[in-house]
Amino acid sequence: MRRDFIKLCGLAGLGVAAPVSGVRAATKEPDAYEGPYFAVFNASGGWDTTYLMDPKGVGETNRLYKQGDILTEGAINFAPNAAHIDRAKEGNLSNEDFFKRYASELLVLNGLDYSVNNHAPCSRYMATGKLDSLAYPTFAALAAAAKGPECPLAFLTFGNYSNTGNIVPMARVPYLPTLGRIANADCVEGNPRSPYHEDFVNDRIEAALRRQSDVRASQVRLPRVEHAHSMLYAAQLNAKALQRVTPFINQKPPRERLAQQAEIALASFKAGVCVSANLSIGQFDSHANNDRDQMKLIPELLGGIDYMLRRAEELGIRDRLVIVMQSEMGRTPNYNKGEGKDHWSIGSMMFLGPGIKGNRVIGSTDEGQFLNPIDAKTLAIAKDPDKGLRVRPENVHQSLRDFAGIAEHEASLKFPFVIPEGKRLRGSLFG
Amino acid sequence: MISRRLFFLSALTAGLGSLVIADELQHPACLADERNFFTDEVWGKVVGRTCLKCHKAGGDAEDSELTLLDPSLDGALEKNRERLTKFAKRRDPKSGKSRVLLKVIGELDHGGEDVLTKGSTRYRILEDFVRRANGERPAPLALANKKPFFEGVRMIDDRKLLRRLTLQLGARLPAPEEYATVQERGLPAISLVLDDLMNEEAFYDRLAEGFNDIFLTPGIDDVAENVLSYEHFDKTRHWYQKEDFSHIKDEQKRKEAGWELARHYRESIQREPMELVKFIVRNKRPFTELITADYIMVSPYSARGYGIYEEVKDRFKDIGNRFEYIPVRLKALKGRSEKTNQESATGFYPHAGLLSTFQYLKRYPTTETNRNRLRVRMYFQHFLGIDIMQLAPRGNDAAAITAKYEVPTMQATDCVVCHKVIDPVAGVFQDFYALDGKGVYQPRAEGWFDDMFPPGHEGEALPESERWRGLQWLGERTAKDPRFAIAMVEHVWYILNGRKALRPPEDIDHPLFAARQRAYSGQRREIELIAKQFASDNFNLKSVFRALALSKFYRADGLATVADYPARMAELGDLGVVRLLSPEQIERKLKAIFGSDWGPLNDQFNILYGGIDSKEVTERIADPSGAMGAIQRMMANEIACRQVPTDFARKPEERLLFPGIEPDVVPSSGNEAKLREVIVHLHQRLLGRFDKGDSAEVDRTYELFAGIIEEANERGQFEPREIYSCRVQGEGEKRVEDPHYTMRAWRAVVTYLLRQHEFLYE
Repeated sequence: MRRDFIKLCGLAGLGVAAPVSGVRAATKEPDAYEGPYFAVFNASGGWDTTYLMDPKGVGETNRLYKQGDILTEGAINFAPNAAHIDRAKEGNLSNEDFFKRYASELLVLNGLDYSVNNHAPCSRYMATGKLDSLAYPTFAALAAAAKGPECPLAFLTFGNYSNTGNIVPMARVPYLPTLGRIANADCVEGNPRSPYHEDFVNDRIEAALRRQSDVRASQVRLPRVEHAHSMLYAAQLNAKALQRVTPFINQKPPRERLAQQAEIALASFKAGVCVSANLSIGQFDSHANNDRDQMKLIPELLGGIDYMLRRAEELGIRDRLVIVMQSEMGRTPNYNKGEGKDHWSIGSMMFLGPGIKGNRVIGSTDEGQFLNPIDAKTLAIAKDPDKGLRVRPENVHQSLRDFAGIAEHEASLKFPFVIPEGKRLRGSLFG
Repeated sequence: MISRRLFFLSALTAGLGSLVIADELQHPACLADERNFFTDEVWGKVVGRTCLKCHKAGGDAEDSELTLLDPSLDGALEKNRERLTKFAKRRDPKSGKSRVLLKVIGELDHGGEDVLTKGSTRYRILEDFVRRANGERPAPLALANKKPFFEGVRMIDDRKLLRRLTLQLGARLPAPEEYATVQERGLPAISLVLDDLMNEEAFYDRLAEGFNDIFLTPGIDDVAENVLSYEHFDKTRHWYQKEDFSHIKDEQKRKEAGWELARHYRESIQREPMELVKFIVRNKRPFTELITADYIMVSPYSARGYGIYEEVKDRFKDIGNRFEYIPVRLKALKGRSEKTNQESATGFYPHAGLLSTFQYLKRYPTTETNRNRLRVRMYFQHFLGIDIMQLAPRGNDAAAITAKYEVPTMQATDCVVCHKVIDPVAGVFQDFYALDGKGVYQPRAEGWFDDMFPPGHEGEALPESERWRGLQWLGERTAKDPRFAIAMVEHVWYILNGRKALRPPEDIDHPLFAARQRAYSGQRREIELIAKQFASDNFNLKSVFRALALSKFYRADGLATVADYPARMAELGDLGVVRLLSPEQIERKLKAIFGSDWGPLNDQFNILYGGIDSKEVTERIADPSGAMGAIQRMMANEIACRQVPTDFARKPEERLLFPGIEPDVVPSSGNEAKLREVIVHLHQRLLGRFDKGDSAEVDRTYELFAGIIEEANERGQFEPREIYSCRVQGEGEKRVEDPHYTMRAWRAVVTYLLRQHEFLYE
């Protein structure tokens, strides 16, 4: 009966099934989730890919370097920027240092077709792989729902488009000390030595709530009521697992905004209470002064990614950490009158992590920053552009689902990509 | 004239729903007839969504051989059916095929190119329509749902509805006499209670909070006083920096006084837009003033920033009250040089309600390339209920289009379809073109852009003589637009339900499309009906609150019978308020129940518990995460710890939680009835339940209480005092005696109750 109900809810587009079915039967906190962990970095506002992994240096595309200045690390070309950034600023990382450290692990995808060039639809499209629906979950949310729905902070988000598709709750934890406080919710001021209730009293409270939950589950309720009861019960029960975070909270938290987000995510990953995190910094929308803004923000973004990787190494979870780097759009191949660059519907992504074959570039753009279609099977540039594939976010997301092993999960099937034959990738992006 | 105002996208939002639901609810037919087929299938799934955008007056295809009428006009649908039927009979002389079927796939020189894919569901529907128009046998249709929409849905108990409303709108519990009236007279009495409730100050605060969730005006990327530009307010906007605090001898305290003044000044500026909402509603003014008011609201503090304090100070009741607001009409802005003076035919600032406030314009700024389009997007969303960006159509190759055309927004079909609507309105905002956050008023030095469609609104040009008051011109037209009333009802819907009203389902191939469409149409019909009442009630916003609060959509609370098939589940999917209370609502509820709030939900845990900051975090969380579950546990523990001993320390007649019992009453056969009575009282006060003493819910709570005491005794000797942290509020360090463990058991009961759905949700 319960299974039938869940099935019905799933069909009805309600998010009851995933977060609850495993929890209701449980009477104790969930097991620790041991990975893989997914961190999605968002350069919110639209990064200038020609100043990063898709360098041009021709015509009026870039004013800070020329084509001959383009650098290469392994198979990856990138724009030089060390001379144009504030290297003394804590947390900044130049392109030169970033690619030197990580090129061997990096997969670069150039020539991604966002199809539209407005922030809201682009953000949604990039985050979910679906342009024409407001209901689809982000990849990070989907991974959390599929792999660890019972984790108390299964899907952490620090901004950007974060729709959950109603299949997993999102958690916002803005500060590291906050994480410490909520980790011991049943204790006075979060001090594990000062519980509010004796253990036997806590057990009785939990048992009474469980009995009540069971009674309610057997009653006939509106779908939304059923959903809410289930989510609430799961949230409170799973909250107990947060105690595991305490030993991994960095007592000397960093000051940089992305590094702070990374610390919260990593402590949660390490404690096994989180599957995925959506990290974000904004202000990339450089309509007014492109070079100044991009030279300020790209090093900050790369510095944040670098911080996360180094800390993950220290925590011993680097080998289980998958990183996706993206932005909702690119920037025009020329400058406007205000020294800025406007929206451009062709862009790039980068990936790094276990199972991803690095030192590779898939796709490309021409000198005018138009994409060159690729061969759907070999992923090389298509000999006949008219028969080639324009890689779009749904292709990337389908690949991500395959890569993460969640493509056939109930949660994914509820939000399918119907990609016509001829517009599908037939080879694996990730190698 | 009216048709011009009604056009853009209205079929997708306003008109369509009423057409579909009207037939559906009033004519529970078996096989859909031709008319229903046209309404539900041809119009609802194809023409209204795909063709109307261009094939209308003012649209990109207004000069083509097919023009359609806006469906919200009387008889328009039937006329559209006739026009389409006639059109469907035309055949291409060369191929002999239907012209309409060829055009939609991009053949026969169709301006919109291939809007449908051959073989797609939409194409098949059109194909079927053409067959029918030509007298051929139609394809079989699915059976329509015959049952009334609310069949089997249980409505909330009137007393519970009363409590929900007093807490939601008045931040208080119902008074005993209100309960009594409602119990005696039922639903009609709630309307009377609402009338009083909506005159209480808490209602206006809630109104401001709710509309702030929508307009988000405090979320500017600057300090609040910088909504006033250096160019026009350089001598007054930083008045607080010149205040003399020399009478405060302590340097630190002197500094703190200055900081506090700045904080209060900034808050008084931030509050102005929502004070306008409060003023309109409080004074029973038509809510159209939201976009037409020829005044702004100022406080004694913000008036100093505008430099008008001396002029208006006598109108305040208390000039020391930084949050007392009065309506004021500003004079046209004077710049530091004559060149930057504001143009005005009347000598006054052309106020257009919220739309022209400095806060709104600063919150949604423009850039050299955005050219006021963000403001247009927000205008459509906020005042007409249309989200023009969320479902932007996919272009064939946006980058190629951008490169191919000199002015894509005026030349490329993919772009023109939206920009023809957006760009004229952007031109109406042209005098507010200050860039880089430097205030809001500043016409573009080179004149408005000529590579945009000229200023206007839905086909009507903005006369040059009206340019200086363009936003007023726009506001006047908006106020007369039926979509304005609908948008306002949707806003109140959002405030009451905590989520937006349904949007029409997009995926017509989904097996549950019809059910989802029915759910959407049901809501739509209710919203449109209330919007009409709202307009005829001189746009009194309270009438919207009243109507929605009493509607079946707000009162739906349960099911009398199992809805055991997917289509019905989908229909019911959005029914029931079931709203996770916001952090602010929980704090207010705690205060209403216990006499004091908790605190952290307004402060350190606000964002983590799903609150918003109006700037970066603008959406409230609907489902609790594990972190929020932890906060719920923390809140329940702390509140119980604080309130149980404190309540027992009160005189019995003053107690809120334990009016008829003392801590020495332990479970026994003689005491059970008394203890159950207390539990019934706690259930009502904390959860709003009206349980009987022998109900299963009370059994469970009683067992918890009695079980804890029994086990404490079984475990042997226990500490005869409460833990140190759980002391009587206001009585210092004194530990609370608890020789029977009852204090701790009651604390466990309150903890248990505060973690329940009935407390944490609405």
